[in-house]
Amino acid sequence: MQDFIVETEKLTKRFGERVAVDGVDLRIPRGSAFGYLGPNGAGKTTLIRMLLGLTSATSGSMRLLGRPVPAERAAALARVGALVEEPRFHAFLTGRENLEIIAAARDAAALERIEGVLDRVGLAARADERVKKYSLGMRQRLGVARALLGDPELLILDEPTNGLDPAGILEFRNLVRRLVGEGRTVVLSSHLLDEVERICDAVAIVDRGRVVWQGAIEAIRGGVGSTLLVEVDDVPAARALLADYTVEDTAAGLRVSLPTDADPHVAAEINRTLVAAGIAVRRLDPSRASLEQRFLEITSRLEEAA
Amino acid sequence: MNLIRAELLKLRKRRGLVAAAALVTIAPMAIGYTVLSILHAANPEKYDPAGGIDNFTDSIELLTQIGVVGAILIGATAGAGDHGAGVFRDLVVTGRSRLALFAARVPGGLGLLVPLVGVAFAIAAVASVATTGDGQSPVTDVTIAQTAGWVALTMVTAYALALGVSSAFGSRGTAIGILLGWQLAAAPILLASGKLDDILPNAALLALEPAEEAQLVTTSVPTAIAILVVWTLVPLAAGAWRTQRADA
Repeated sequence: MQDFIVETEKLTKRFGERVAVDGVDLRIPRGSAFGYLGPNGAGKTTLIRMLLGLTSATSGSMRLLGRPVPAERAAALARVGALVEEPRFHAFLTGRENLEIIAAARDAAALERIEGVLDRVGLAARADERVKKYSLGMRQRLGVARALLGDPELLILDEPTNGLDPAGILEFRNLVRRLVGEGRTVVLSSHLLDEVERICDAVAIVDRGRVVWQGAIEAIRGGVGSTLLVEVDDVPAARALLADYTVEDTAAGLRVSLPTDADPHVAAEINRTLVAAGIAVRRLDPSRASLEQRFLEITSRLEEAA
Repeated sequence: MNLIRAELLKLRKRRGLVAAAALVTIAPMAIGYTVLSILHAANPEKYDPAGGIDNFTDSIELLTQIGVVGAILIGATAGAGDHGAGVFRDLVVTGRSRLALFAARVPGGLGLLVPLVGVAFAIAAVASVATTGDGQSPVTDVTIAQTAGWVALTMVTAYALALGVSSAFGSRGTAIGILLGWQLAAAPILLASGKLDDILPNAALLALEPAEEAQLVTTSVPTAIAILVVWTLVPLAAGAWRTQRADA
């Protein structure tokens, strides 16, 4: 039986008539990097705020680290770290002092972790400068350091790469992978498909307050038929031979769309067919569907249904 | 204890706040006694020494009237500083109860206010005793002790009111505006009307004042104590309730 670190059931949040989170059933596997993916305004931050006890749910239930929230909120949050929305600090305090403020609200060991987390996010040398002098990227890193103070089993990061430069983003990806490697679970809420695809093992796609798909990244990619780019010396003959497939002409040859349930060896079979017919194959390039394609497919289908 | 230390750290590192609070507590006492001493030294015939009971009473009157502004500034900042900086949500996410977060603000802010008022009071007391001239009534130990208690009561009441109101509104600026308006305009006008002595905190404080001003109001001591308890606990309860219930 799979162990879920976050579970929600029919979780709903209404603001008057507007439903921000609409009956969400979410299962986040322990020890994974999990992407919570959706366009701006889809209800991602509202769900995170409910999980963290920052706002109450209208209805439904949730469990964090196996504990019901809000009933056992304090015990659950003791091993949760979070970066919610834009990281905010007391600008007149130094980075280290800001961490001391949060550590004081955690267990006694949190104060002893300050040096370690500063080092981990690369801020040790600037820790005694006032936060008002920090760049947005430095604040983002300090926010991650703050989230790590409780030695969390679960890290919830809301749009964590906002404000980071390319080097910072790369560094951040590596940090997340290291954290997952240590057995922690990292939930990454983002509207950046590429970011989630590069970092996460599993994903939930949220649209207009509802989770419309969730599962492993590989599974979501597999839900879309892949394509095969084919370059041959005789395009009309190849097109005739591949009549069983959906084939489009491209500038360099043909694009063959393969069904979702296609045999994994279909590319080899096509190659064999073409060669057996005396057609010279210059290129046979399987192209996997990206998360972006799948995301757009799911959300556009929903829009059509609406 | 760590939470209280953290609250104090947040307040004492605000240079503007500390400077403003010192300006309305320590500075008037230091400047006042310095000026009185200089005047007396320059023209002893015309100006009495800086010490004695009369100058002590006047200086304490000044300290409680201006010094409460410092208490309001510190209380309002302690109550809404985390909200204003946007870090209250990060404190909530630690899992620590919101009530504990609120409760730490009470001693945390007093940790800054009490030393400032204490220094101001010490200046007044020491200068009044040390520079008592011939013919001036001396300031006794009993008077100093009673007055110290009354000053502390005045400041703590103002601080608790400010802390509660700012926590309830979640806004430092709003709380400071409301309380300065109350303290500097509304309360004195209402007090002058003489009809609300059994409701107003400044009437209750006057009733408890060791000096003769106590006779200016008709409020009895038990009533005065009850009034101050209500004016302290109700805003604190409102602030605690709001801190527990509001979205972070």
